[in-house]
Amino acid sequence: MIGEGTQSTNQRRHSYVADRVEVGFFTDPSVCIGCKACEVACKEWNQVPDDGFTWTGNSYDNTGHLGASTWRHVLFVEQDRAKGNQITGPISLGENGEDPFRWVFLSDVCKHCEEAGCLEACPTGSIVRTEVGSVLVQDDVCNGCGYCVVNCPFGVIDRRPEPLPNAGGAFKCTFCYDRQKSGLTPACAKVCPTESIVFGRLDDLRARGAERVKTLREQGYGDAELYDPQETSVRGLHAFSLLLGEPEAYGLPPRPQVPTIYLKSSWMGAIMTAIAALVASLLAFAFLAS
Amino acid sequence: MNPASEERLDRLREEARSKGVVNGRGVDVFGGPIPAKPGYYGEPVVKPPVWTWEISTYFFIGGCGGMAAVIGAAALAFGQAEVTRAAMWIACAAAILSPTLLILDLGRPLLFINMLRVFKYKSPMSVGSWVVSFFGINAVPAAILMELWQRDLFSGAVGTLVAVLAILFVIGTAFWGMFLATYTGVLISCTTIPAWFLHRVHLPIHFGTAALGSAAGLLELIGFRIAPLYALSLFAAAVETLLWIVLEVKRHGAADRALHEGTAGVLIRLSELLGGPLALILRLVGAIPAAAISFLLGALVSRFGWIQAGKQSGCDPESVFAAQRL
Amino acid sequence: MPGLGTSFGRGGATTAQQDLARADCILIEGSSMAEAHPVGFRWVMKAKENGATIIHVDPRFSRTSALADIWVPIRAGTDIAFLGGIIRNVLENDLFFREYVVHYTNASCILRPEFRDSGEEPSGYFSGWNEEKRAYDHETWLYEGEGLSYPHRDLSLQDPRCVFQTLKRHFARYTPEKVKEVCGIPPELFRKVADALTNASGPQKTAAICYAVGWTHHSKGVQVIRTAAILQLLLGNIGRPGGGIMALRGHASIQGSTDIPTLYDTLPGYLAMPRGGKGEDTLDQYLKKHTNVTGLWHQFPSYFVSLLKAYYGEHATASNSFGYEWMPKITGDHSYFSFLYKMLDGEMEGMFLMGQNPAVGAQNARLERTALTRLKWLVVRDMVEIESANFWYDSPEIERGEFKTEEIATEVFFFPAAGHAEKEGAFTNTQRLLQWREKAVSPPGDCRSEGWFMHQLALRLIPKAKASDDPNDEPLRALDWWYPETREGEPEMLAVLAEINGWKTTPEVGAEGVVHGNDRNGQLHHGPQLDKYQELKDDGTTASGCWIYCGCYASDGVNKPKARQPNDYLGHGWGFAWPSDRRIIYNRASAAPNGAPWSEKKKLVWWSAEENKWTGQDVPDFKKDKSPTYRPDGKEKGLEALSGDAPFILHEDGLGWLYIPEGLQDGPLPTHYEPLESPVSNQLYGHDTNPVENWFTRDTNRFAPPGDSRFPFVLTTYRLTEHHTAGGMSRFLPHLSELQPEMFAEISPEAASILGIKNADYVSIITLRGAIEARALVSRRMRPLRLNGKTVHQVAIPFHWGSAGPIRGDVANDLMAISGEPNVTIMETKALTCNVVPGRRPRGAAFEPWLRRYAPQTGPENLHPEQPPPGAPTGGKLTPGHGQHGKSV
Ligand SMILES: Nc1nc2c(c(=O)[nH]1)N[C@H]1C(S)=C(S)[C@@H](COP(=O)(O)OP(=O)(O)OC[C@H]3O[C@@H](n4cnc5c(=O)[nH]c(N)nc54)[C@H](O)[C@@H]3O)O[C@H]1N2
Ligand SMILES: Nc1nc2c(c(=O)[nH]1)N[C@H]1C(S)=C(S)[C@@H](COP(=O)(O)OP(=O)(O)OC[C@H]3O[C@@H](n4cnc5c(=O)[nH]c(N)nc54)[C@H](O)[C@@H]3O)O[C@H]1N2
Ligand code: SF4
Ligand code: SF4
Ligand code: SF4
Ligand code: SF4
Ligand code: SF4
Ligand SMILES: [Mo]
Repeated sequence: MIGEGTQSTNQRRHSYVADRVEVGFFTDPSVCIGCKACEVACKEWNQVPDDGFTWTGNSYDNTGHLGASTWRHVLFVEQDRAKGNQITGPISLGENGEDPFRWVFLSDVCKHCEEAGCLEACPTGSIVRTEVGSVLVQDDVCNGCGYCVVNCPFGVIDRRPEPLPNAGGAFKCTFCYDRQKSGLTPACAKVCPTESIVFGRLDDLRARGAERVKTLREQGYGDAELYDPQETSVRGLHAFSLLLGEPEAYGLPPRPQVPTIYLKSSWMGAIMTAIAALVASLLAFAFLAS
Repeated sequence: MNPASEERLDRLREEARSKGVVNGRGVDVFGGPIPAKPGYYGEPVVKPPVWTWEISTYFFIGGCGGMAAVIGAAALAFGQAEVTRAAMWIACAAAILSPTLLILDLGRPLLFINMLRVFKYKSPMSVGSWVVSFFGINAVPAAILMELWQRDLFSGAVGTLVAVLAILFVIGTAFWGMFLATYTGVLISCTTIPAWFLHRVHLPIHFGTAALGSAAGLLELIGFRIAPLYALSLFAAAVETLLWIVLEVKRHGAADRALHEGTAGVLIRLSELLGGPLALILRLVGAIPAAAISFLLGALVSRFGWIQAGKQSGCDPESVFAAQRL
Repeated sequence: MPGLGTSFGRGGATTAQQDLARADCILIEGSSMAEAHPVGFRWVMKAKENGATIIHVDPRFSRTSALADIWVPIRAGTDIAFLGGIIRNVLENDLFFREYVVHYTNASCILRPEFRDSGEEPSGYFSGWNEEKRAYDHETWLYEGEGLSYPHRDLSLQDPRCVFQTLKRHFARYTPEKVKEVCGIPPELFRKVADALTNASGPQKTAAICYAVGWTHHSKGVQVIRTAAILQLLLGNIGRPGGGIMALRGHASIQGSTDIPTLYDTLPGYLAMPRGGKGEDTLDQYLKKHTNVTGLWHQFPSYFVSLLKAYYGEHATASNSFGYEWMPKITGDHSYFSFLYKMLDGEMEGMFLMGQNPAVGAQNARLERTALTRLKWLVVRDMVEIESANFWYDSPEIERGEFKTEEIATEVFFFPAAGHAEKEGAFTNTQRLLQWREKAVSPPGDCRSEGWFMHQLALRLIPKAKASDDPNDEPLRALDWWYPETREGEPEMLAVLAEINGWKTTPEVGAEGVVHGNDRNGQLHHGPQLDKYQELKDDGTTASGCWIYCGCYASDGVNKPKARQPNDYLGHGWGFAWPSDRRIIYNRASAAPNGAPWSEKKKLVWWSAEENKWTGQDVPDFKKDKSPTYRPDGKEKGLEALSGDAPFILHEDGLGWLYIPEGLQDGPLPTHYEPLESPVSNQLYGHDTNPVENWFTRDTNRFAPPGDSRFPFVLTTYRLTEHHTAGGMSRFLPHLSELQPEMFAEISPEAASILGIKNADYVSIITLRGAIEARALVSRRMRPLRLNGKTVHQVAIPFHWGSAGPIRGDVANDLMAISGEPNVTIMETKALTCNVVPGRRPRGAAFEPWLRRYAPQTGPENLHPEQPPPGAPTGGKLTPGHGQHGKSV
């Protein structure tokens, strides 16, 4: 909760890595003020290069999307919808008819999936699962094959292009594994002024998330939902968030799936074809070779 | 800040100086703060593949070589050793070109060897890397041994040994070859790209068939105008025609529209035309070399078409939403 | 900050940000707190979590609005009308906190019969107007009775001449209908806010108000804050938990640089700068003038003499009236803008620019950059090569061929500065909290701290002065430059802090409580540290660099600003808040007149009968042992003269001032005037603009007439979280630059369709001063306002961009005009009028003719009718009666 000060799990030192406790992020857009401190702290701590000075015209978002050089991304969603019982100017009083408006901020990040597409797909074993359940890319192992890129259901991980420093490898949020090992909290959570990003034990966070949704719904946020697809093959996120409205508006897949679920049928097709080709060849030479 | 980004900053300063501002793209919604584009300001939901021409070419060459080995083995089984010998050289060439292309595409080519750090059956890329490698260690000796055997430079015990080894390696090459020619379909199917995973059964069949036809066609062009190859080519072209019809009939709307729209749409259609009906007709009218060339072209263009489709589909948020609402 | 200073006594936020969490309602107006004070905003979010109603009144739907419960779009520059409307609502419907108002405010004080309100004829002027001087004579504003100390009062508040009745009459015209007509806020919405505030006030509840430069950057900024002060006093929200007025200050230590001012007209601790030719020629005259008979300012001589002792050490003696002669006396307006003009006219040779980037941050920035080229020499100390340092080879004027590098004679000395992490020292933050910073890393290369620079400069100048016999050098010769040094040749910052805190001047060997007792030559320099400002004397036995900071580094030798162990919700134990570590000032008001808390829920400080002293959760802002029942008999002086139920101890009468009898230039009560540039004329009074305003008129500094059809849009400027002010601290950092890489303008869809532009198109924005280009960010976050009949479109632009650094954008301040609010000479950056045309501005030489087509600089038609023509006397500042109330912004 905001104002816990040094008691907050965002500020307290911890030993989760040593204790092998599953940790996670719970991100709550209903208190996010869109300050982007998380984005900057992430880049500063992890020495991620800047990736272009492009003004998008998409509200206040000039970052665009997560990628090899953007591990935190604050979204700025402008919608013709009410946010709880918020009154935004005369119009939402129904003076000229109901015409609501809202501006929602959400800090997006690698989801550290329970079933991680990137990890499953990586042929070099560069991507591993850490003691705290996060998904980590070992930069010195990655050879930049780019297969993880097309295996992340959330379009998070990407291969860093030239001429950026350290180009060629795949990059994404490390969950500040280095900080965590030394008992520090992830940089992004540490700096978040309103504790919109909460870092802590996954089980605590899940309980807290459910609690928050309940409270918000009571306060009139009819469309508050948790985004933590546990029913799909992704089987849940370690970095999950609360959403106001449907995932699509935040560029999130409604029912994300790990590509490994396609393996069976696809390999079946491949093996059948292989055998068919062999048989066909044999037959051809058996009967037509005069 | 490191030199690299410093240089970039300088270049940006320059651009800023000359243009007055740094270049920026806008959104086209007239006055609309609410994104007129789907999803979040039309931003991709999943990432498009980073792969370039090397991969498409590798799909083609690898397929060709793989199925050539299969044909070669079959030929050998029925005493057509000189077909095998040629086929093995094709396989051998493919075995050398394939890894080269793969390495070229890597972000960090020098670390290619890390592919062989682990074996992950759940990762088609990992499986594929091993397949390519095993295909390679079989194909090269196979080609050389076939050559030695066919020129029968050795006699007696050595001669028989060469023959036996040759046969064994040919079989090995063929075995890995059939997977080399088909796994690439699995490779791109088992991803988050809707246009690909929605056709996860279609793709290996298509890639495999295209590979078989290409191999047969190539052997024909080299000069083996023999019935078995003719039959195989005919068979491949027929299947391709069928697959095209399936592709046109079994549409998934927005989810796989990338296959039917834009560059990808054109490339795929062109490839199917070349490798399917056109190859078929040319063959039936007896224009064998033309048919073979048409099929080979089709097979090559198709690989580029499908990779392009992956890029288009990956950049299209609606295709992802649609696929998940199916 | 005279708005707060005159109303309550001290020029600082009355509360601490942590305390906002205890509010039942928070009105954020004139600030985008979430964007400009994101870390403090957490306490607003905490309050929201606790169920408080958050209201944001702002022309833009900002990141703050996004988190508020109610967003009220308002026409820039009309806050007095809006708040006035709420005050009227409170007065008409008896919604004020009667007991608080009667006992703790000057509502009951009787005004003189000669006083005439701005509502009466001539409308818009108070009594005492002097047309020649363009200033007020304040005589008629005073109370009936003995000066300010013992005014006549009518506790029934019935006397027609009492402040309360005057207030009622004054605000009667601020009806909801007028609010709609002036601010564009429909009555339904107005009511929502009015109710939210009044429902959240009273014994059981409190409401807080947060503001920043969205209020101060106006031609009547001080009066806007005054209006808020009146409202909070009426609702009984000052000095109470969850209440107060949170002035959100600017730079990390801007509060510090008003306490120990970087301003020309005040001295440390809000002591008035001596003025030439105003009967302040001798120390006695000066002290007499500024010493109040009653209240805390009765000790004025101790504060002032102690300051002189800190400056001149042993050279300051009773016989030379502690060196008063050495103090410079100000004779005119020496604010930044007036010497900007001196530069322009070549009357200024050189300038030190330390931690400022006027080429981007100052108004009418084209004029500013031109002025810089007229200097002989310019010293810039900054961390990066800012526009104010590279204007001579890279600026819009160079690009347009208006300057030629080879023709600019200015010699620029650029000194690389150490950043805040590279040096030791203290910040005083927005809530008067001193926080010590340790040096994290040594500055790279030749970068040096301010301390080092000033110290080394002094060490070179003083010997020169000693060598000369010029009497003008006497002050330098007399200076007590004792500071011990570090290895790097920096003055010991702790020694400086010790001097600021203050000490007994006579050195005693081995005395208790002495810190840094030896000067740079190892000689014994001073005696024990002082523990509280009450110990200060006017006989030269004490010295203190800033009396209000006294106690921060006391005889216990503990550097309190460095403390980091908060032991309660107000954060006692973390840093040191002036005065005397009080976090919520005037907190005597948190208890009823009888000394008991107003309510259990809102208790803070109360009278404990058994201990016979004031106690509670905060340091009492009151004489610890003065019982609530204490009554003076009218003969006492100083604090003794204040009764036990007078919480505002700096005021002569110990009351909170709804009405300001003395200390403000532009009237005792807030009056709505239109911004200097406005699309409409004043709907409430016969005069459009603040009469005392200093317009700084020049041909190059003109204001468009009201409703000028060539400039139909209202223009306002603001900050982005991603950047900092003039950009030196953000535009040069890639990780910040990529977040907001280009200058843009926020425009409503309606305005966009009128202009025929779409989102991300380029537009050019034009005023009588200049023109810039920007990308159009079209969003429903901007709303057209419907004043009765008339629709007004507002355009908002951030002001961070300039021509240096990786990202470039036009300078918003090229559009702004220079103007001076009467009390603090602050410019009006928040409300102007402009024209917007699609497309980019011309480059090179084509620019000027193009601009002049839209913005001619000649003729009365291109001058505001109330703007005195070039050469006319300037208004504001330095009229009599400018005492220690006239704190700075
Ligand atoms: N990130 C960041 N933080 C900063 C700074 C920075 O540059 N960047 N600067 C620091 C400094 S120096 C200062 S002084 C403070 C300033 O802090 P703020 O005053 O909060 O900053 P501004 O954005 O200049 O103005 C606040 C709001 O006033 C609104 N406004 C404009 N005109 C009016 C009006 O007439 N009435 C009302 N009610 N609102 C109006 C603007 O739309 C804007 O949203 O911020 C400090 N903090
Ligand atoms: N249109 C418009 N104009 C405005 C405003 C507005 O709201 N609208 N806001 C006004 C306000 S409130 C303010 S405060 C001003 C700010 O205007 P300025 O003060 O002129 O602008 P800053 O960028 O804050 O300048 C601070 C400079 O000090 C440098 N610096 C930082 N730390 C140090 C240090 O330790 N030592 C030294 N020597 N230098 C240092 C920084 O690099 C930076 O260049 O802008 C004013 N101008
Ligand atoms: S979100 Fe993507 S990158 Fe992150 S763990 Fe899941 S699959 Fe991997
Ligand atoms: S790019 Fe690197 S991390 Fe990604 S799959 Fe290939 S090797 Fe693994
Ligand atoms: S956890 Fe660390 S790496 Fe991941 S987003 Fe936060 S700061 Fe960046
Ligand atoms: S730091 Fe926190 S409040 Fe700021 S943008 Fe990130 S998540 Fe939102
Ligand atoms: S920059 Fe400093 S002062 Fe401003 S909000 Fe952040 S922490 Fe507070
Ligand atoms: Mo400021």
